[in-house]
Amino acid sequence: MTWWSVVRFLHVLSAALWVGGQLTVSLVVLPLARRMLDTDRRADVLRAVGRRFGMFTGAVFLPVQLATGVAIAVHKGVTWASLAEPGYGRTLAAKLLLFCVVMAAAALHGWATGRRPGVARALAVISLVGSVGIVLLATALPAT
Amino acid sequence: MPPVEVKIGARPENRPPVPPARSRASWHVRANAVVLAWLALTIVAALAQGELPAPRWLVVHVFLLGAISTAILIWSEHFATVLLRARTPEPPRGGVARLGALNAGTVAVLYGVAVGPWPVAAAGAALVVAAVTWHAVVLAGMVRRALPGRFGHVVGWYLAAAGALVAGGVLGGLLAAQPGGGALHERAQAAHAQANLLGWVGLTVLGTLFTLWPTVLRTRISELTRRWSRAALWLSVAGLAVTVAGLLPGLRWVAVAGLVTYAVAVAVALAPPVETLRRRRPHTAASWTLAAGVVWFEVALVAEVVVVATRPVERVAAGLEPLLPLILAGFAGQVLVGSLTHLLPAVLGGGPPRFKRNAALVERGWAYRLAATNLGVPLLALPVPGPLRLLGWALVLAPAAAFVVLAVTALARTVSAGTGPAGTGPAGTGPAASGAVGTGPARAAAVGTGPAASGADAGPPSDGRRSRVSPAHVGVLIGCLLTALAVVGAMSGAGGPARTRVAPGAEQTVEVTLRGMRVQPGVIEAEPGTVLTLKVVNADAQRHDLRLSTGERTPELAPGESAVLKLAPLAGPVDGWCTLAGHRAAGMTMRIVPTTAAAAAHSAQSSPPGGDHAHTPGARLDPAAPMPSGWKPFEAALAPAPSGAEHHVEIRVQETDLDVAPGVRQRMWTFNGTLPGPVLRGRVGDLFVVTFVNDGAMGHGVDFHAGALAPDEPMRTIDPGERLTYRFRAAHAGAWLYHCSTMPMSQHIANGMYGAVIIDPPGLPPVDREYVLVQGELYLGTPDARAAAVTEGRPDGWMFNGAVAGYRHAPLTAEAGERARIWVVTAGPGTGTAFHVVGAPFDTVYKEGAYLLREDDPGGAQVLDLAPAQGGFAELVFPEAGHYPFVDHHMRRAETGASGIFKVSAP
Repeated sequence: MTWWSVVRFLHVLSAALWVGGQLTVSLVVLPLARRMLDTDRRADVLRAVGRRFGMFTGAVFLPVQLATGVAIAVHKGVTWASLAEPGYGRTLAAKLLLFCVVMAAAALHGWATGRRPGVARALAVISLVGSVGIVLLATALPAT
Repeated sequence: MPPVEVKIGARPENRPPVPPARSRASWHVRANAVVLAWLALTIVAALAQGELPAPRWLVVHVFLLGAISTAILIWSEHFATVLLRARTPEPPRGGVARLGALNAGTVAVLYGVAVGPWPVAAAGAALVVAAVTWHAVVLAGMVRRALPGRFGHVVGWYLAAAGALVAGGVLGGLLAAQPGGGALHERAQAAHAQANLLGWVGLTVLGTLFTLWPTVLRTRISELTRRWSRAALWLSVAGLAVTVAGLLPGLRWVAVAGLVTYAVAVAVALAPPVETLRRRRPHTAASWTLAAGVVWFEVALVAEVVVVATRPVERVAAGLEPLLPLILAGFAGQVLVGSLTHLLPAVLGGGPPRFKRNAALVERGWAYRLAATNLGVPLLALPVPGPLRLLGWALVLAPAAAFVVLAVTALARTVSAGTGPAGTGPAGTGPAASGAVGTGPARAAAVGTGPAASGADAGPPSDGRRSRVSPAHVGVLIGCLLTALAVVGAMSGAGGPARTRVAPGAEQTVEVTLRGMRVQPGVIEAEPGTVLTLKVVNADAQRHDLRLSTGERTPELAPGESAVLKLAPLAGPVDGWCTLAGHRAAGMTMRIVPTTAAAAAHSAQSSPPGGDHAHTPGARLDPAAPMPSGWKPFEAALAPAPSGAEHHVEIRVQETDLDVAPGVRQRMWTFNGTLPGPVLRGRVGDLFVVTFVNDGAMGHGVDFHAGALAPDEPMRTIDPGERLTYRFRAAHAGAWLYHCSTMPMSQHIANGMYGAVIIDPPGLPPVDREYVLVQGELYLGTPDARAAAVTEGRPDGWMFNGAVAGYRHAPLTAEAGERARIWVVTAGPGTGTAFHVVGAPFDTVYKEGAYLLREDDPGGAQVLDLAPAQGGFAELVFPEAGHYPFVDHHMRRAETGASGIFKVSAP
């Protein structure tokens, strides 16, 4: 148990909140809202949920994730060049790229909400599935 | 041209509705249930490929002979009845018997080839041929009795298709009956495949498309149809006949000419459907799926022409194998699914509401199913890495399974709702219902009803037709694709270049990088005498150095620093490593090899750096230490030879991480992922058909000592992703070795590429227990260290069945008083065995094809001695309960792993 375990703990915890939050909203909140709320109230509630989740993303998730992630990478001696190497490097690179795509999808989802409902929904699901994919890649990173 | 009304799925309405629709719908429920059952079985067979006796063959034949042939029989009779306006009832007389005969024959063929004796398979093939011949006779009878009509030409296609099956089926029966290897067999197999695929399946589909395609598109039949159909039929039959006639005697260019003719015929036959297409775009599930199927047919056809044109006829059958996914899943599967999507709701009846519901049901999610299938097919056909191939299987099988479930649900609904007019609800009243299917669906299934049919009023229940693509599903699809891409990216390049070869010359400079607990390059090859200068760069985030076994060393380098080492002229191998605590153990090692020695070490190239993660250089074997908890021993108990004189096996080269010794898990080159590879067993005279697939990272081959044949073709080295068929007849009894046939064999065998073939001597008496033990050497360390040790003949340990002292940790069991027969084969590469069981002398010894000692002889034996690559067995009776060690009595080998225990309990 060193300070580095605390950093890793924060990284994993914050990721769990982000992925778990999306899963909870999609699998629990949305179906219930569809069943129990009329159209207007539902739109209000979901918009509020979305805004709160967006704030959490910008204020907590992203800063924690970027700070801890960069710290861990530096600690492990990851360099830009090493990202191209097979094994650890490429897995990490793939994970980072997927993270960027997911963040872009999430941001676009915020933009599309209210304007293009279908696109917004698709983007939300892309973000969710992509996040699960990031967890998959994270588990594939050799632990050292 | 006057509009002509022909209906598929509905009896012309001016005839009395006798027999009632109940029989027709229920016939279709039962008959198509058989098709769906075969389709489901195909999916199961594809999923269970690892467990089946002849995996590829079974999948192909369960699908084509089971699902597709049954569907052809049912539907071609149905179309013939409708198109010829025959007065025959549905099913035509004897339909049930024909269907039964075809299915019984199919089951016999499947059973006979996979398990049973060959006469069962041959009799099955004869039954299939007989059923189809009868089917052709019935169709011909209908044509003769029918009034001249516009659609009689379609039945000509069905007759030609049946003729092709008779030829292909006879060839198939001969292949099953005379399973001898050799060139003739390969040519007959190619001809068999072409006759059945291009003839029986291809001609039926082409003929059906003339009427089915416009029906599916809900437009009128092209004016071109009649004339082009006749031309195409003659051309394709001629082409096919020439193809088969060219393949059998091995005339490559005749076969190519035939295939090209057939391809031209296909183009001609597809002209009317394409003309139709210009009038009406595909817009339904059935039309898109059919179109996709036909496109794959054309792709496969072009690829086939290329395959036949570019290799000798003997290798055509093997060359066509990669095309199988295109033909099976892409073409036949999609045509079947597309047709059933359109036809099932129409024949299941029950009036417009039920038709609508059934149509909506079988079309559910069709856009995703279509996309997945057509994404999966190329993944299966192309030489892609393992995970992608797995994805391909999932993409192909999941939609197929979904369709089976949907279609079965539709059938079940029909059964439970009752199929008679009484069950049709509101539509069941009035004269309309006498048409049994009601006018709505009847019109939907009508063929060429003239302009009216394309009008809106004839429209099908279109609300259920168009599958609305939901954004959530699109999201899931894109998300999964992105993740799959990321995973492929993450896994790419494992085992990238970690070796540098230095060109000959007096002085050379090589840049050496220290990074991520690795030294790159890991191996430097140079001519002896070269003066090497190493420019060592620390590109890592922490401090490293590099020390060489010749004494040179860099100072400790901070990140970004570099140093230069100048070596003495190269005389022998030089090791290098980082001296910081723990770094050498973590893998920071390198080696400079003079090229003569490097040639021997070359084979280690494909092993990825770090493939030996668990082993640290200098670690010592500890056979007494426990094996990891998840470890399972190789099954030493030997099952009796399977029945049947023909054994189909698929052997794949795989690089697998295996627990080869307590605490040592290292990357081995294996046959089917186990060490040793699968044990093959049979009797004298049996035929073994081995499909050998190279899923490894470098060239491999295989050599079965039990077979007598010219090594040139079957033992050749094939590249990663390639496959070959190795056919041998076991002419002699014995315990035989098989091993990788690629040079340097010492390296390939030492890395785990071996296994045993057991051929029972005639009259081998049964015993209580039979075991097989394959003894081999174990080399530890980095791939390069292993390679060097193999060359020098310095094994680190010995293994029975791929684990050091494995059967000490998981003893073999028996009961006191039981007679055990222990088959032993030595793989080496360098050492044999002096096999001995402590406490139980042998009363029977059989070595290299001859008994040295028999049970009733007065003498006994203490050791079964085998040179490398020999085999035999010894028999003994365990006198009482206890623990009987078995060892290689060359005691150094026993103490470093060649030992195990029989744990004998009281009876």
